[in-house]
Amino acid sequence: MGFRALRKISFFQASFITITLFITFLLVLAIGSLFVVPSWEDVRQNIWSPEMRFSLKLSLITGITSTALVMLFALPIGYALSRFRFLGKGLVKTVIDMPIAFPELVLGLCLLLLFGNTFVRDVLASVGLNFVFTKKGIVAAQFFTALPYAIRIMKSTFDYINPRLEFVSRSLGYSMFETFKNISLPLARNGIMASTVISFARGIGTFGTVLILAGGSYMKTEILPITLYLNISYGNMGMALTSGIVLMIVSFLAIFVFEKAEVGL
Amino acid sequence: MSFLRVDDLHISLGEFYLREVFFSLEKGDYLMIIGPTGAGKTILLESIVGFWNPQQGSIYLEETNITHELPEKRNIGIVYQDYALLPHFTVFENIAYGLKKKKIRDRDEKIREMARTLNIEHLLHRKPDTLSGGEQQRVALARALIVNPKLLLMDEPFSALDPQTRRETRRLLKRVIAKSNTTVIHISHDLNDAWALANKIAVFREGALLQFGSVNDIFDRPGSPFIANFVGATILQGTAEKNGSDGTFVNVDGMKLASIDNAENGSEVTVAIRPENIIVSKEEPHHLSARNVLETTLKDIVPEGRMYYLHLLANSVELPALVTRSAVEQLEMQSGDRVYVVIKSTHVRIIEHTPV
Repeated sequence: MGFRALRKISFFQASFITITLFITFLLVLAIGSLFVVPSWEDVRQNIWSPEMRFSLKLSLITGITSTALVMLFALPIGYALSRFRFLGKGLVKTVIDMPIAFPELVLGLCLLLLFGNTFVRDVLASVGLNFVFTKKGIVAAQFFTALPYAIRIMKSTFDYINPRLEFVSRSLGYSMFETFKNISLPLARNGIMASTVISFARGIGTFGTVLILAGGSYMKTEILPITLYLNISYGNMGMALTSGIVLMIVSFLAIFVFEKAEVGL
Repeated sequence: MSFLRVDDLHISLGEFYLREVFFSLEKGDYLMIIGPTGAGKTILLESIVGFWNPQQGSIYLEETNITHELPEKRNIGIVYQDYALLPHFTVFENIAYGLKKKKIRDRDEKIREMARTLNIEHLLHRKPDTLSGGEQQRVALARALIVNPKLLLMDEPFSALDPQTRRETRRLLKRVIAKSNTTVIHISHDLNDAWALANKIAVFREGALLQFGSVNDIFDRPGSPFIANFVGATILQGTAEKNGSDGTFVNVDGMKLASIDNAENGSEVTVAIRPENIIVSKEEPHHLSARNVLETTLKDIVPEGRMYYLHLLANSVELPALVTRSAVEQLEMQSGDRVYVVIKSTHVRIIEHTPV
């Protein structure tokens, strides 16, 4: 069976599979070198260095905060885009998706111009918010970078839920909000999980937007990608590699959870 | 004073729409809605239950205008073809869902009783995706009926079921509806549903209500050749010849058919005859009053479910008759046979006539 099947693979099939395997091999090599190049003693020391501890802690705090905020907005936005018809919906969808195609640096620049505007800055300052070159700016940068991904996943999750389930719930006496809480949210569980994980991974790896809006200042607005960047520019390869490894592990875990969740989607 | 009144309803949802829909139902009526795909049947139900806002017109339930009432305030139940059971709830929780909102006492007892009536008591702990189609549909029915809706709407509830399950579900539905005296609107493609359950029929096509009436009205006197064709009646064209007293003779290709309906002498008429109202025999029947006897040739015998369609040719007029298998066997019928056909004049209905 095995040999016969092998003989029947056409040239077309074989060449496409070869291309797939070649790229996979390159990626494995690239990822692998991150773990092979540094000495483990270095990594161990670097992880416990004050700079790395600061950076990791700040990354986790900002990442979790921005993910929570992203989900708080992605749920209603995704639901609205999936269920409701309203004026200008097509335009809204395009605008919301735009940051996906934007270079991060440009997004960061746009946010810097907005939040740096005297009027906007004063309004925000009156409620105690300042996003320019601050830790809150990191959260804002991560928020705007990750939000479109979360919205996309939530929209397609709600698209996938039969609206008739919600109709039936309403015909049985439940309001729209109760129906959302009782039916739509529980059925969207896997999508919410996937969306949360992707937002966190996307947020924690955000570099360009954070660099421009929050500034990449040492031990102040320094998150893992910034640590990597700063140390590369000083020529401190050990620290750069360590932050790379930590980021890689976080993303790997995120993708793993995402794939698990999507099976049931 | 009617129970439900739909008054000049207009609604448009892209490719599906309704125009100028008027009808009313009395308490306890069972309305069957029939019509081809895309006729706007589903959006009629979804407008009555409140999921879409009509562009024009009103809906009254018990003389209250509910056109702009929220769906959750209308107390109208809906059952879909795909059951729409909540996949994260058990059968029990699905049925209990509507009751929970109403905070009714003896909830468990009520659910058990409903489940017993619909033969799903043994399934209460299961999740919907482990049930067969017929079982799921009974759960959906139980869920809709347990809250005592004023009106129950059903969108092709049986079309995904096999014939035997469909008959059984129909029987249970009839029982449970009779018990609660619920008013029902039911969309179906299966005319057997109409025979078995309905007392009224509405025919829709391209967003318009073509005909509304009692089951016998629609089946025996379809309002147009389209409806006649849809409900399986045979259409014949002829000329009316007044016979003095009540009724009319219709000259169809030289044959004179007596009808109880009146039409002006000499007018062109369209006549509807139902295949099941044609009686066949091999011997010429005698001494019949108010009946039409025709001599025909049997062209073909085609099975139709457990019945047979006889394709009969009277002169050049095709006249299908629906007979039982035992009739075909007993009369030893074969194609080419000479067959006598008896049709009562009450079964020859004039559905259209063009005045001279």
